Formats: sequence, structure tokens, C-alpha cells
Amino acid sequence: MGQDVFEIAINSVKLIVVFLFMVQAVPVLVWLERRGSAFIQNRFGPNRVGPLGLMQLLADAVKFLFKEEFIPQKGVRLLYYGAPVVALIPATLAFAAMPLSVPLQVEAFEMMGRSWGPYTFLIQGYEIGVGIVFVLGVSSMAAYSILMAGWGSGNKYSLLGALRASAQTISYELALGLSIVGVILMYGTFNLTEIVLAQSGSLSFSLMGNSIALGFLPNWGIFYQPLGALIFFAATFAESNRLPFDLAEGEAELVAGFHVEYGGFKMLLFFIGEYGHMMVASALMVIFFFGGYQIPGITVAEVQAWATSIAPTATKASALVSLLYFASFFVKFAVFLWIFIQVRWTLPRFRYDQLMDLGWKTMLPWALGNTILTAFMVYLAHS
Amino acid sequence: VTADSILFWILALVTLASALTVILVANPIYSALSLVMTMVGISALFVTLGAYFIAGVQLIVYAGAVMVLFVMVLMLFDLRHELQAFTHGKFSGAVKIGAVGMLAGLIVGAILMSSGGDSVAMATPVVEGDQTKVLGKILFSQYLFGFEALGVLLLVIAVGAVALSRSKGGTHAKR
Repeated sequence: MGQDVFEIAINSVKLIVVFLFMVQAVPVLVWLERRGSAFIQNRFGPNRVGPLGLMQLLADAVKFLFKEEFIPQKGVRLLYYGAPVVALIPATLAFAAMPLSVPLQVEAFEMMGRSWGPYTFLIQGYEIGVGIVFVLGVSSMAAYSILMAGWGSGNKYSLLGALRASAQTISYELALGLSIVGVILMYGTFNLTEIVLAQSGSLSFSLMGNSIALGFLPNWGIFYQPLGALIFFAATFAESNRLPFDLAEGEAELVAGFHVEYGGFKMLLFFIGEYGHMMVASALMVIFFFGGYQIPGITVAEVQAWATSIAPTATKASALVSLLYFASFFVKFAVFLWIFIQVRWTLPRFRYDQLMDLGWKTMLPWALGNTILTAFMVYLAHS
Repeated sequence: VTADSILFWILALVTLASALTVILVANPIYSALSLVMTMVGISALFVTLGAYFIAGVQLIVYAGAVMVLFVMVLMLFDLRHELQAFTHGKFSGAVKIGAVGMLAGLIVGAILMSSGGDSVAMATPVVEGDQTKVLGKILFSQYLFGFEALGVLLLVIAVGAVALSRSKGGTHAKR
């Protein structure tokens, strides 16, 4: 955690801030989704409470808190109450491992009668050497909250929805994992920060003795792994149970899926979990295929030099650089969140057998092919 | 007492408690969920040992994939008859006594074998740098045959499962 009190305190606060960032983004996303869907479907959406209907979020939060608390008669108390809590954990843990910006360098300073050494704070909850494995591991825990909710509700629609949802999650996890193997092979690391650093500069690589450089394009993973990116993005839709893969809900057949019996704040926790998965997916998309926090056309050193020229101290310059790169990350991140929303209100739902066929018979073979092709190319490039 | 040892004891207690719950609880769903907790606990213990890759794989494969299937299948079945058959009767009693005997033998054997344990110092990991890379290299050079044989074995199991499910009727039966 750190060497002294200051570093430990900052690192602990950081964990809470990352969690709050994720949770507080949810109301904004819900608002964006409702306004966006209204815009797509030529309606108004929430526009009465506050400017642009922004206060609707607050009203919703109050409504969620004050709803009547109930439990289905045949429900299992422990699982029924445990499920919404478990729903939050995977997305939170995974999101805290994302590198959001360049590390913040703090110079030595005086405070409370003693000097505090220079520090380096990573702009992420925690750094994990095997980041990809960790993110995949904790994300795969998401199926349990769904199963617990389905079983604990004591309702057959809930159970059917839960079984559908978890079967879908497991099926698409395979394609998801295999589509990342290409990225791992290319960069030779599990570490998310190293993957981001490997994507700096402009597009240039050497293949069979010829070096190819395309200066106008950034060195992003999407240009090396277009198929992997496509499969990964499609699979994350299924992982977060969003349209066109929201068979778990299927309101025409299953009322509302695994959360039929949930209302009030417990329902909101499931919501936060779902949006959390969307955020993890968008962040991973940015990190693997769109250069992470890198700004195209300019290097970190150049930005650093510019910041030093205008900021009074090195700490403030570093803070400015971190803020700029966080903004760069956030813009890319927001684009993918918007794509999630746009797709939800554009595409119809798949049939269940179509969903399974797509997962097992289309995406899995293509992901395998991508892995083999990447392995060959990496071998050729290194030989 | 260091922070590491406190962490170890907490994790060990959680893992053991959930492992005991697996066999002490009558409801199979709770058993399976406790087993998931055990897997997560073991994965966390791997992390404290510095084996991050193994910890992640433990989480993905056992807790994330295998146990989800267990829980799903348990939820689909009505296990009242099986529960009755397993908790009563002479045959299952004999099986239980046999299992207890085997476990006791294992524990006694382990204690006897580890009597000289003090002389074995806590070895620091010999691996320097990226452990995952080293693990991969060992798997694909020194233990290549065993690794590939396991792969073939898993393939045979998968084919066998498909063949069984198609021959015994059900939704995937041959028409």
C-alpha cells in the first residue's frame, strides 16, 4: 500500500474515489440512456425535472430509497438479499484495475513539521501484474449474483431468466477470452499499463525484414487486431446482458428475467452492476485497442515539457499532465459507452438459439482463427 | 505478527469455514455456493504466495466456469429424492464411514510425513521476473508430453459427453 502514512492514506482514498467514480457515473448514464433513447425514437424523454431533466436522477434516487421493502414469500432470504450486493463486486474490482492516466509524480514537501518523500501515485485503484487474468477472473464471478437472484426469488420466471443469463455469460466468456489472446500474444504481457505504453507513437512495425511506417495513424491495437476487437466488443455486449443479447430479460417471455422480484434499492444495485460491466467493457476496449490514455500525435514527454513550462511547480505540472491524459481516456471511454446505448436502442433482440449459434459456431471459431493467425504473424515478425 | 500473517489467517479461516460448510449443509445449492467461496479463498491464498497467474486461472476456471455449471445444474433438478437416498440407508452410511476413514488416514499420514517439517526453511521463489513466462516455458518444454496428453484427455472427455447425451435421449437425441 505504501511506505508511510501519507502514501497509505492516499492509496486508500484512491480506492474509494474509483468506486465512487463508477457508482456516480451510473445516474448520468441512466439519464443519457433515457434521453438518448428518446432522441433515437423521436420522443422527449425525461425533461420536466430541472434543466434538461437532469434532476430526474435525484428524484429517481429518492424514489428508489423510499420504495416499500418486501421479500417474496417463497424466497430464500440470504440469497435474495445477498444477490444485489454480490452484483456490485465483480465490476467494482475489475474497474479498479484499469489504468486511467499517467502516474502522478509528487515532489518532496514539508507538512506538519516533517518532510514527506517524493511519491508516485498511479491513477488507478491498484496495479496488478496479471491485469488481464485478474479482470477476466473477477468478471466471471458475475454469473453468481444472477443465479443467486434467480434462485433466491422463488419465482420460476426469475429462475429461467437466471439460467438463460448465466448460460449466455459462460458461452460468451470463451469467445471473449480467446479474442484477447491475440492482444496478449502481440504485446507479450498481461499487464494493462504495459499494453497501453506499447501503443504509444505512430503506427510502425517490421514484418519479414521490411519496416512499415504509417505516420498519420496512431500505434493502436485496432490496426493490428481488427477481428479481435470486433469479437471482443460483441462478446462484451453478451457479458453485460445488454441488447441485442438481453435474453435474460426478454420481457415478452419472462416478465423481466432474474430481477422480477426486486424493487427499490436492490433493483438499483443490479442496475449499477450492469452499468459497471458496461464501463469495464468500454475501458478494456480503450486499453486493448484504442491506445488507453494515449493522445494520438503527441508523446507523454512532449506534454510533460509543455506542462512544466506553464506550471509553477513540478507537482502541479505532473497533475496537469495526469488530468489531460485522464480527459483523453475519458473521451474514448465515453464514446464506447455511447455505442453501448446506441446499439441497445437500434438492434432487435436475438432468439435464444441464434444467440447460442452466434457464440459457439461463429464467434468461437473466428476467435480461434484470429489467435492462430496472430501467432503466425508474431512468429514471422520476430524471426 | 505481520500484516501478511494476519491476512493469511483470515483467508485460511474463511477458506476452511466455507470448505466445512460444503459438507455440513444439507441444501445442495448452499453446498455449491460454499464451494465457490472455497475456490475464491484458495485463489486469494495463491495471491499471498505470489502466484498471481495461478490465482487468476483458479478464479476463471474453477470459480468462474466449473462451479457456475454445478450451481446451474443443481438449480434445474429437484434433488429431494437423491437427498433422501444419500442421507438415509445402510449403503450410504457405509460409504460415509469409509470416507471418514480415508480422510483420517490421509491426515495421520500427512502429520507423520511432515514431522521433520521444521528443517525445511521457507523457500523464497526461485523464479525471477515474469513468472507467467517462466511457467509457460516450463509447460511447453519440460512437461510438454504431460501437457499435451492432458489436452487430448480433455478432448476425449468432451467427445464422450456429447456422444452420451445424444445416445440417451433428451433434447439433443439423434432423430
